[in-house]
Amino acid sequence: MKSKLLSLDNVSLTRQDKKIINKYSLDINQKQKINIYGENGSGKTSLLKMIAGITQPTEGDVDYDPLFDMNNDIFYIGHKYGLKSELTVYQNLQYTLNFSNNNGHSTIESELEDYSMKRYMNTQVRNLSHGQKKVVSLVQLTLISNRLWILDEPFTGLDESKINLLLTKMDKHVDSMGTVIITSHDIKDNFDNIKLC
Amino acid sequence: MLKSFATILYRDMCIVLNTASRVFMPIVYMLLIITFFSISLEGTTVGGYDNILPQIIWLSCLLVCLLNMDSLFKEDYEDGTLDGIVINSEILEISILAKVVAHWMFTIIPLVLVAFFVNLLLTSNLGISIILFSSLILGTLTLSLIGSIVASLTLSLKGNGLLLSTIVLPLDIPILIFGTSAIYNASIGVNYDSEMLFLTTLLVLFLIIAPFAASFGIRSSLD
Repeated sequence: MKSKLLSLDNVSLTRQDKKIINKYSLDINQKQKINIYGENGSGKTSLLKMIAGITQPTEGDVDYDPLFDMNNDIFYIGHKYGLKSELTVYQNLQYTLNFSNNNGHSTIESELEDYSMKRYMNTQVRNLSHGQKKVVSLVQLTLISNRLWILDEPFTGLDESKINLLLTKMDKHVDSMGTVIITSHDIKDNFDNIKLC
Repeated sequence: MLKSFATILYRDMCIVLNTASRVFMPIVYMLLIITFFSISLEGTTVGGYDNILPQIIWLSCLLVCLLNMDSLFKEDYEDGTLDGIVINSEILEISILAKVVAHWMFTIIPLVLVAFFVNLLLTSNLGISIILFSSLILGTLTLSLIGSIVASLTLSLKGNGLLLSTIVLPLDIPILIFGTSAIYNASIGVNYDSEMLFLTTLLVLFLIIAPFAASFGIRSSLD
């Protein structure tokens, strides 16, 4: 049975007198994979930031399940990779592991192996391509076991095999009571697609 | 709580170890300022250059601290790691304090150590050099804490370096006055305890205030 994880109750967001999100309501359940899609400037990123608690709505509320722990249950990857370019891939992932209280069952080596990135383990992030940086940022997801994954356009910059691998990891996460919210510009198969106007 | 503090401290130490210029460049810059002061004041100082050298070193350290302040949160903001810190910190204020302490330990402390040895080499006065070192330790940590408040508020502004310096500089005047007064009093044999006490009081005050003010500033900048 799917229980409610969080709900957006008539949330609005105004920036410089422009209403980016206008009285938007949405319920998000456990074990749900949601794709929020829409045109550029429709407020997808702002909505994700609102769910992650980075941005506060100017009107309305974001209500979380009482058992939901904001600090330990959310993992957010935005347009920026969230990696330090001066550190190696291993050092970045070790930082993620150390900072989190929810260490998963896999190791840095095994996760990098899954994405065929193990040989870059000791490479500084600044020397990686954009696609490789994206992969490293996504490796963090399964390294720690946060319940809610919030991913802003996660498939951009990835090749076909990496996209399929990420989709498989998302399915596994949902099977183990996790929830995934992503944004994209179009409808995605096997996701609950929600259009943002 | 302490885990996130130690994790950020360790990460920032690794960054400094991977990019030595972060430590090296401020030191070179401080030495250049001291040299320029020496050249411009040549033959104009009554009683010898040695008498005012510790004060010049103090001012040089303050200016270099100011220049560095811009990078305190900016890089984390630009690469997206600040989002993670804000979302996943159990107590954001502790994580911010870790950022400030890391900045001070790995960028400012080497500067203070060099300042101590430069003063010792040029004046051969160990007593004054120790007072310079202790007042700089107290003063630069307070400067970093004050800077963290302003850096957090100007985070989302482009080209915020000059604005940050303009706002922070007047706030640093009391620290500069008491830091240099302690050295002057010591050099003429007058008790300097009250100056050191005032520097310590300011440090404690900003240790309490700054993490809360900076966390509010960061949340506002990310919003």
